[in-house]
Amino acid sequence: MSGQMSSSGGSGNRQRPVVLDLSKHVERSVLVKLVGGRQIRGTLKGWDPLVNLVLDDAVEELRDPTDPYVLTGKERKLGLLVARGTSVMTICPTDGMEETENPFVEQE
Amino acid sequence: MLPLSLLRTCQGHPMLVELKTGETYNGFLVSIDTWMNLNLREVVCTSKDGEKFWKVTEIYIRGSAIKYLRVPDEIIDVVQEENANRRDNRPNSRGRGRGRGRGGGRGRGDRGRG
Repeated sequence: MSGQMSSSGGSGNRQRPVVLDLSKHVERSVLVKLVGGRQIRGTLKGWDPLVNLVLDDAVEELRDPTDPYVLTGKERKLGLLVARGTSVMTICPTDGMEETENPFVEQE
Repeated sequence: MLPLSLLRTCQGHPMLVELKTGETYNGFLVSIDTWMNLNLREVVCTSKDGEKFWKVTEIYIRGSAIKYLRVPDEIIDVVQEENANRRDNRPNSRGRGRGRGRGGGRGRGDRGRG
């Protein structure tokens, strides 16, 4: 398992598609959601094929303990951290991310 | 029809992914692997209660976090067509040893689908 395998060994199309290519996010700010509901924003410094991540200047975006739907807007500084791959659920870049109105209204 | 091969044919199509947490992600499937890890593009994320929405350019979702995926109905036709094509393409290799002669060598070659 080599980290940044980009062209996966050639000929026969035994599919080994590269789904995980986080290299384009390195040194950029990403939002990582973890199993259990926490979410963490930080600069992606490194990653491996097991989706262990190194995040720098990480902050946890805190949720209201009484109502986990609500992000309180408060943050908790975590600094440099390694997020364990098995507990990572989603990774998305923070730039280009914005809250919107319901885009599905006309369908319902 | 295998779930993962169906999902593979969905690449480039819009789909809905619900995570075990209840959040849903609507977007175009970019890529998917054998663990159902996937990348979506032009995503709308909906909170569990369906009240809040976020636009996200792209997102990586770990397969183990997925509850289910909704795919467009048309995909079923595409899959069946592909299956039919595949059957046409190798009519002789039926009787004996799937995977023989497909190159690649070693035992694992004939694992999984043809």
